[in-house]
Amino acid sequence: MLIWVSALHCEAKPIIDFYRLKKSHDDTAFDHYRGNGMACIISGTGKIASSAACAWIAARYGDEASIAWINLGIAGAAQHDIGSIFSLHQVIDADDGHRYYPAPASAVELDGSACMTLSLPSDDYSEEYLFDMEASGFMYATLRFSSAELVKSLKIVSDNQREKIGRDRQRVSDLVHQHIDSIERQASSLMALNDEVAARSPGLEYWQQLTSMAHFSQTQQNRLRVLWRYLMNRDFDAVTLMQQFEEHSPRAIIKHLEQLSYRDSEGLRP
Amino acid sequence: MTSRVYVESSIRQHPRTRQLLQRLNKLPVIEIEHYGEVFNPRSQNFRLQKKNPAIIIAHKNKGHMLAAPEGYGLGGDHNYYFSHMLNCLYDCRYCFLQGMYQSAHQLLFVNFEDFGDEMRRVAASHPQQPVWFYSGYDCDSLANDPMTRFTEFFIPLVASIDNAWMELRTKSTQVRGMLKLKPQDRVVTAFSFSDPVSHAQLENGVPSIAKRIDAMRRLMEAGWKVGLRLDPIVYHVNYQVEFKALLEQIFAELDATAMHSVSLGSFRLTRDHFRKVSRLYPDEPLFAQPMELDNGIVSYPVEREREMIEFCETAVLQHVPRHCYHPCNWHG
Repeated sequence: MLIWVSALHCEAKPIIDFYRLKKSHDDTAFDHYRGNGMACIISGTGKIASSAACAWIAARYGDEASIAWINLGIAGAAQHDIGSIFSLHQVIDADDGHRYYPAPASAVELDGSACMTLSLPSDDYSEEYLFDMEASGFMYATLRFSSAELVKSLKIVSDNQREKIGRDRQRVSDLVHQHIDSIERQASSLMALNDEVAARSPGLEYWQQLTSMAHFSQTQQNRLRVLWRYLMNRDFDAVTLMQQFEEHSPRAIIKHLEQLSYRDSEGLRP
Repeated sequence: MTSRVYVESSIRQHPRTRQLLQRLNKLPVIEIEHYGEVFNPRSQNFRLQKKNPAIIIAHKNKGHMLAAPEGYGLGGDHNYYFSHMLNCLYDCRYCFLQGMYQSAHQLLFVNFEDFGDEMRRVAASHPQQPVWFYSGYDCDSLANDPMTRFTEFFIPLVASIDNAWMELRTKSTQVRGMLKLKPQDRVVTAFSFSDPVSHAQLENGVPSIAKRIDAMRRLMEAGWKVGLRLDPIVYHVNYQVEFKALLEQIFAELDATAMHSVSLGSFRLTRDHFRKVSRLYPDEPLFAQPMELDNGIVSYPVEREREMIEFCETAVLQHVPRHCYHPCNWHG
């Protein structure tokens, strides 16, 4: 699952169009689009709005094995040209000084930049940073649900000391749209990583079925989880495995799975 | 592939930092206040990060020389270890470093001089007695030597302290830096090996066995003391045949009687590390094998371990004189 988080609809529109996401009419807290293993949420302006939107949508998709995130939006800069795109490598909250570091996990990287998140709009830009109003709130919330490798913030310069187009919705959409190919590459590599993480989680459906087959103590459940996760990751078939249990006692089930694990692992085959 | 460099602002102008950044000039450089900002946060996925780790250049404030864990070492009374780097270039599935830190980034401390001062102080606190300093506990001693110039600083340092001995533990073939230096009697370069199947399945990114043997040979020929660490011995159905083949390969090239020391130990991890790495790699056969907990350490069941050690010990002693063999007895 990949979740896009943008402050404004005009920032997200090219993504919604590109991936043909459909608006969800089930929810009223935030505008929310979905489709293709993705969701997109429009948070509104500011770091608190961004945090709230991330927390809300993380809860909404709490059943997902793993979630990757992209914060896509515009930023101000002192010198960078309008339309330059950056992947943030450092996010600084101007209010409390807290710093966040999205972690590089894929070889496909855009140019990096630090970004300072302000609570109020300002055009007093310094050379060192981009300036926005959401990234620190986005990082604060998403790092509670996903690891730093699955969190990205992409910023496109809309305002600099020479020109300001951040208030022109159509031009903001155009700025995002002109980078749609590189944004798509970022999204694809992030989704591949996310799939890798998700694939290591045991299927919840079968896990519930398995644990309901006998009354497992907490210690037995812990052992069972390790064995089940291993066997599922080694492409054993869940249904066939459950049919093999001759006796439905916790000990017998665990012993059976242990024997399979031991046999499978003794060659160290990958 | 290294993805980027983080540098603590306070040491940005340190000569060693400048030299490192010159070498890493193609990578983006990000200034940070303290390495902990990047290295310590919990929300990091070691397994994903290991694909494209960053290098963090930092200053170490304290704990430059630490007492070695019990059972670590070659029988000396005073054993210390130190780490100019945390984390390793290689990705060995059995290594405790996978469960040690939140981050897979390689953290490099540039204030070698502070390590040197502490080494002198520790050595002076045990006058007239040999004091062993082990490098390669939290990193590979030589893997990054061309970049860090670790040996260029620490080998002359040890040579200048009369009662200091140093072991450089490595799986690397980066011995060019050492070959430029005058061989020192009190420096032992110890190469770790596992059998060919374990190497192929578990030692990602580690140079081939043949290349490491060649690096050992070049050091020995140049007059350096070299040790062999057959650790960890990993169980698999063919471990006996493969272990013997490893010894044959090593001793076909190297003079066993010229080895400084040979040690042997089976796979083991502390309970916490085992728990962490097996969660990180739930699909890894090594962690799905039968294991037992003994004294806070997870390892093979006693009977299996005894059988493995006995077999390997017998095989080693067919090549190596007993006086230079040091079993690793972690059971205490």
